[in-house]
Amino acid sequence: MNAPDRYERFVVPEGVKKVSYERDTKIMNAATFTVEREDHTIGNIVRMQLHRDDSVLFAGYKLPHPLQYKILLRIQTTSQSSPMQAYNQAINDLDKELDHLKNQFEGELAKHTRDY
Amino acid sequence: MEGASYQRFPRVKIREVKDDYMKFELRDTDASIANALRRIMIAEVPTIAIDLVEIEVNSSVLNDEFISHRLGLIPLTSERAMSMRFSRDCDACDGDGQCEYCSVEFYLRVKCLSDQTLDVTSKDLLSSDHTVVPVDYSDASSGFDNSTNKGIIIVKLRRGQELRLRAIARKGIGKDHAKWSPAATVTFMYEPEIYINEDMMETLSLEEKKELVESSPTKVFDIDPENKQVIVVDPEAYTYDDEVLKKAEAMGKPGLVEIHAKEDSFIFTVETTGAVKASQLVLNAIDVLKQKLDAVRLSDDTVEADDQFGELGAHMRGG
Repeated sequence: MNAPDRYERFVVPEGVKKVSYERDTKIMNAATFTVEREDHTIGNIVRMQLHRDDSVLFAGYKLPHPLQYKILLRIQTTSQSSPMQAYNQAINDLDKELDHLKNQFEGELAKHTRDY
Repeated sequence: MEGASYQRFPRVKIREVKDDYMKFELRDTDASIANALRRIMIAEVPTIAIDLVEIEVNSSVLNDEFISHRLGLIPLTSERAMSMRFSRDCDACDGDGQCEYCSVEFYLRVKCLSDQTLDVTSKDLLSSDHTVVPVDYSDASSGFDNSTNKGIIIVKLRRGQELRLRAIARKGIGKDHAKWSPAATVTFMYEPEIYINEDMMETLSLEEKKELVESSPTKVFDIDPENKQVIVVDPEAYTYDDEVLKKAEAMGKPGLVEIHAKEDSFIFTVETTGAVKASQLVLNAIDVLKQKLDAVRLSDDTVEADDQFGELGAHMRGG
């Protein structure tokens, strides 16, 4: 009866930013990214990619509540980098990985459809 | 600004492809990517399904809502879905589904005139777009008699009953409603690495070897009929149940068999509803994930705001 509309889960409301960034006031090179209308799908791959980065000291994400359709991603880096730089790097690397994966998959598929 | 790249180069090996089923290996990546792909195939790859129904006449035994719900669940061929618009961001129409960019119209007009029960099926749905039609499940290669295949039954009518309606199909995703999910099942498992300690195995009698082979609930091991040695026949049948390991321990031979999950190697099985081909579903999932990543990139004004903040901080520090 008072359930939120289903589209609330994936439509970013007007006037709301998809990604917002907030520096930590107490810790150097630490920040929280709030990503609206995303879940474990994005949260977990970005977190795992950040863990591969040597300049990242901490990376973690949480889905605060099942009915709050957003994730919080916290990053702390060494002074050689910044959370923003690490975040951008992680997304670029993931994007390139997916490009590679797509090419691999298409190549394999072409082989298989030929011997049909 | 450019830091070191930590990119991976995953490998794919396809084992089997059919129209609505495929099995492949994914290597040199981690579980987060495998799981993201699985989640997207289930809930975020778009398809087309009936979303709006206007009933003109319904004298069948099922009520209007019941029939509308059944219509929604019928899989429609959705190759076009990736390039279609969601009706909520279609500016060519006001979202009532009249335009060709975001919706497809269907008509259903059936009346039973004989004494025999009439089956109303998905084949009675008339589409306004020949690329979007109910999925045809009659398989020409199966060898069965296809004349009996009439599609998915929507309702049954007796003499005098009639069903007349107009339906609008729209693009959507499984996150919104499961009727839009193109996936029947998508699963992945870690590839197991099974190691048999041959020296220890030598100390076992044939009777004990048989017992060990029998202890696995799925047929992972067998005995070579020639040299009577325990061999691994099907590592992927292993369900990580630990039964053989427990058996080896009970026999007083811990370490006889060792099993590890390879953490960077996955075996995927993908089954679809027929709305899109299984191979296309995987490709679409990769595209959707790329779009999602693109959407979560930082916008320029966020970066700018932070730069100003940084300067302010520097001023404050500098006095």
